[in-house]
Amino acid sequence: MKTLQLFILAFLFVAIAPLSAQSADEIIANYLENTGGAENWEKLSGIEFTGKINVQGMQLPIIQVQTKSGKQMMKADVQGQTFYQEVYDGETLWGTNQMTMAAEKSDAETTNNFKNNLNDFPDPFLNYKDKNYTVELIGNETIEGTETYKIKLVKEPIMVDGNEVEDVSYYYFDTENFVPIVVEEEITQGPGKGMMAQVKFSDYQEVDGLYFPFAIVQGVKDQPGMQITLTEIKLNPDIDDTMFSYPEEK
Amino acid sequence: MKRILIALLGLALLPIATEAQEIALKGKELFGDMNARHIGPALMSGRINDMETHPTNPRILYAGAAGGGVWKSSDGGATFVPIFDNHVQSIGAVALDPKKPDEVIWVGTGETWTRNSVSIGDGLYKSTDGGNNWKEIPGFENSERIASVVINPNNTDEVYVGVLGALWSDSEDRGVYKTTDGGKTWNKILYVDGSTGAADVIMDPKNPSTLYASMWQFRRTGWGFNSGGENSALYKSTDAGKTWNKIHNGFPKGKLGRIAIAVAPSNPAILYSVLETEDPKKNGLWRSSNAGESWEHLNNDFGLVVRPFYFSRITVDPKDPDVVVKGGLTGSISRDGGKTFKNLGNMHSDIHDIVFDINNSDIIYAGTDGGVYRSWNGGTTFEIVENLPLSQFYHISVDDAEPYNVYGGLQDNGSWYGPSSAPGGVTARDWNSVGYGDGFRVLKHPTKNIIYSEMQGADNVWRYDVDKNRTKTIQPLPKKGDVKLRFNWNAPMAVSAHVPDRFYMGSQFVHKSDDMGDTWTIISPDLTTNDPKKQDQAKSGGLSVDNSGAENHTTIFTIAESPLDQNILWVGTDDGNVQVTTDGGKNWSNVTPNLIGIPANTWVYHIEASVHGKGTAYAVFDGHTSGDMKPYALKTTDYGKTWKSIISDDIQENAFVRNIQEDYKNEDLLFLGTEMGLYVTIDGGANWSHFTNNMPPVAVHFIDLQKQTNDLVMGTHGRGVIIIDDISPLRELDQTVLAKDVHFFKTEPFTMTEGSGFSGSFGAETQFVGANKSNAARIVYYLQKRHTFGKMTMEIQDMEGNTLTTLSPGKSKGINVVNWGFNTVAPKMAEGKTLSFGGFTAPRVPAGTYKVVLTKGKDTYTHTIDVVYDEDSLGTLAERKEQEELTNTLYTMVEDLAYMVHEITATQEKAQDVIANHPKGKKDAQKLYDALESLRKDLVITTGDNYVASAEPELRERMGALYSNVATSYDRVSGALKQNFELISEDFEAAKQRYENIMKKEGEKFMNFLEKNDMTKPSIQPKEEFLSKA
Repeated sequence: MKTLQLFILAFLFVAIAPLSAQSADEIIANYLENTGGAENWEKLSGIEFTGKINVQGMQLPIIQVQTKSGKQMMKADVQGQTFYQEVYDGETLWGTNQMTMAAEKSDAETTNNFKNNLNDFPDPFLNYKDKNYTVELIGNETIEGTETYKIKLVKEPIMVDGNEVEDVSYYYFDTENFVPIVVEEEITQGPGKGMMAQVKFSDYQEVDGLYFPFAIVQGVKDQPGMQITLTEIKLNPDIDDTMFSYPEEK
Repeated sequence: MKRILIALLGLALLPIATEAQEIALKGKELFGDMNARHIGPALMSGRINDMETHPTNPRILYAGAAGGGVWKSSDGGATFVPIFDNHVQSIGAVALDPKKPDEVIWVGTGETWTRNSVSIGDGLYKSTDGGNNWKEIPGFENSERIASVVINPNNTDEVYVGVLGALWSDSEDRGVYKTTDGGKTWNKILYVDGSTGAADVIMDPKNPSTLYASMWQFRRTGWGFNSGGENSALYKSTDAGKTWNKIHNGFPKGKLGRIAIAVAPSNPAILYSVLETEDPKKNGLWRSSNAGESWEHLNNDFGLVVRPFYFSRITVDPKDPDVVVKGGLTGSISRDGGKTFKNLGNMHSDIHDIVFDINNSDIIYAGTDGGVYRSWNGGTTFEIVENLPLSQFYHISVDDAEPYNVYGGLQDNGSWYGPSSAPGGVTARDWNSVGYGDGFRVLKHPTKNIIYSEMQGADNVWRYDVDKNRTKTIQPLPKKGDVKLRFNWNAPMAVSAHVPDRFYMGSQFVHKSDDMGDTWTIISPDLTTNDPKKQDQAKSGGLSVDNSGAENHTTIFTIAESPLDQNILWVGTDDGNVQVTTDGGKNWSNVTPNLIGIPANTWVYHIEASVHGKGTAYAVFDGHTSGDMKPYALKTTDYGKTWKSIISDDIQENAFVRNIQEDYKNEDLLFLGTEMGLYVTIDGGANWSHFTNNMPPVAVHFIDLQKQTNDLVMGTHGRGVIIIDDISPLRELDQTVLAKDVHFFKTEPFTMTEGSGFSGSFGAETQFVGANKSNAARIVYYLQKRHTFGKMTMEIQDMEGNTLTTLSPGKSKGINVVNWGFNTVAPKMAEGKTLSFGGFTAPRVPAGTYKVVLTKGKDTYTHTIDVVYDEDSLGTLAERKEQEELTNTLYTMVEDLAYMVHEITATQEKAQDVIANHPKGKKDAQKLYDALESLRKDLVITTGDNYVASAEPELRERMGALYSNVATSYDRVSGALKQNFELISEDFEAAKQRYENIMKKEGEKFMNFLEKNDMTKPSIQPKEEFLSKA
């Protein structure tokens, strides 16, 4: 049953990017430039990620689709069953209950917080000023043995158990090439509340002129993480909108 | 031609010249992702210095630990998480900005309840993002102890800081400081003298210009304590700190000691104070009803006068000025304005701080010597917070069990041992108590299941027979004609590596026993300075006598027997002597005069007798009890005749040293336990690196290196036991290795451990659970540069190059550790309506040699590792081979079934296509479909869900369960499994027969139809492709 719980982990295919700077603005500009250029990131209408999660000898195949229009779907196929997680059709956020295999809606707070992130496609740093996000260069820090710029990103506030809290994350940009290699975010709810969630990015590769990390390790800081390896990234894929729809029939 | 050659040579030389540059053998990146793990214990937790509530959100609570950092709770104290792990762990005060309490946090470091064993702080810190990032505020680097941080609620840029300051020496860095610009600039607004610090600063809650400050004259030495003097006083300012006046109207004349002060939040005219005076009748609680104009003495009960240096916190109920709580041995509460008190409910003794819930005064939080406690009924009963691993070890040791145990004694929390790993993690119930009082050294008998432990001052030394559960008291006692024995508070003990029943203890003499402590012989003269000036502890304490034994001095503190020769013993004393004997104690030579760079009488905290040479030893010196915080460590190779310092500038200047551990293999690899955490050198001390991977800069009091595992085990004074698993890669690090792009470290053969016990996770929701060591193969390699661009993968292959599984390689610069659990990949399972959990099992590999293949861009790096079976296996090798064979058979069977189901469903799909679109073939297609469906329903579950609406298991489920049972078993294949295998094999054969018959009968007609009508065949994948896991 433990294996299944891994599905619950949400995927943060948030950011990508790399090259040169000093101020937070410059670092972010370099990042977007080095990963393909802001204007090219802006042209994206959708991305389909295909990959696998490596769990104790099992390779769970996963697919995630994100669109500029604000829809999203993630699924994993296991033994002929399809598990959906974080599927959003523009209104309802839903996923598969692992016991009944039926679709269930996320709670209202989670759904509203999720909606806040829709404007982060394809990258929260793209036009971050227009989104009223704030960034701050906290300083230089050595992480993964590597010199980085640590940048604090503050997005729209989220609600946690009825209270409004800031949505803060910390990005560590490699000083050599300006791509983020680590992102940290304080866990705001659940048993890990107060701990730092940590995502590590590597294996950046080019896809039609844009750079994406193909290896992502996700977990809690100072604890072993779970590796996601991407095998294919399709830009602007053909999308059948029904994949996002909440299945009313149970 | 020659010219060209020279030009080429020139080119070739260039890169060589660059490579020849020395790579610094230090830095954070050396350690890559080698991470420390914490195993607690948390069940007895550790000393808390300060508690802090949030001004508006009652769920949020902070605890500042004496030696274990700052912890935040967001759930009303049910659980806490650490938020200050990159900085010094000794905490004086935590304060939240009244306007931005979720963002701005101030932390003043350095604990303020000044017992003998306190740690030091190193300044003032501020976070503006809720504790995720911290900045040190310049100007307080030498403050040592910060007692108060007070913020004007109307203008939060205005902050007052009360600095208690240096405990062991004079210092001008004390008094009350003020900033009006949020901490950029500071003025010292109240200063008395170099020995008098600010013990508390508070603000009138209604009028921020009114402040009270208690100033305390105090000093500690290695051999005594003095609280009180003419300079201790209580001050008030009504002009925001510009001027201060003493408010002693009613107080007795003469010297005062530590003064506690509190103002009632609901009525600021009411003040409470606790005094330590020359007249014991006037000690205790005083009250003013006119904001300090005059005072009335109310109470001198024990609870109000006990140990003022340790307990001087008064808390007034935020809603009721007559409800007053005072810290103390048990803590005291009054509900009549301080006239009478009763004890707080049972909890760990020594209560240092108390806070009320902001809305509900029935809820009280107490910070004690044993962690944080919560009360829900106004202080009558308390319960402990179970996830604060703040245990304060004085000493630890390890044994050679598998997994090995860690032994150690704690400040005010007895002596314990517990496993370094346990099923489900190391929990509270895994720890065993082996001593009362304050615990210090705890040693395992080298061959018998016997444990030695002790309490303060060797008042009791116990020999505990674990198997028989019998305890005997065995401390050396004076016999006729002996002088008084002087034992340190933390008295040295040692067991012999050469004679298992031999046991040493140190007073001012070395005591030796060859019968496990039953009889003792003194084998040395007084090895200390025997300075009578440092032996008058009965008068220690100042205004309140405090002769707990903690100040006993001119004693032996460390005894080290050479691991190479039982006649070589090293002794270090708390008053600075290093003595050595090479003839088992007949003759001693005092080598103290040969030490270099060590101030006279500096405490010899630890001597490590080396395995690398009989005359080789390390000695570390701790001068902090005379105000000298500098790190000192010396090495000798000639029995102490000459010494050299092995300290470099890399070590923080106030990181005084308490312990050193040498590596058993590489003489240049050393580990230094300091007040500011762990330092490591790989070149004999020329360069040191601070180890910070999941390792806070906590005071490391003792280090041991477990021989079988090469695990570095640290006893910290505030964060329990912290372990770095297998440090052996550090042995190989040198210029050559660091210059390589990729370097795999040598590893010993890995044992596939077969232990498979049970573990309940009951209570883990709110209890600390220590991290386990992984049982997996540790593949360790060094990367010269972090891998960020391009592909990097890692595979395990057999020696023929067949891929067995893929792993997720670490990409850090420095050392990377990848765990492989000895498994290949799980079989492909047949598709069904539900999950067959047996199918998630990946088989283990047989013992043998395997290739680790790391591919990085275009380059491939290969390394081999050996995997061996567990020697403690229940079965024989032949039985294991049978188990492996049956596993393989079942694996194949499971996948054969998966493929058969794939063929069936693909054929069914085609049949459905015909049924829907080709009326002529409909009848035969329907027949085929129905026959296959009937078969499929017997092969896999086709209805229900994964929980209680589940259907009866079908062949896939039964086969999967059997496969998993066999594959995960470590024992021989049981008769029941074999019989079940027979049954399932037969069922599968029968199913295959049915399938064949269907395909012969209904299938043939259907296929003919397809062929005749030029229709494509069912889209069945080739088997190999279907089963591929790439």
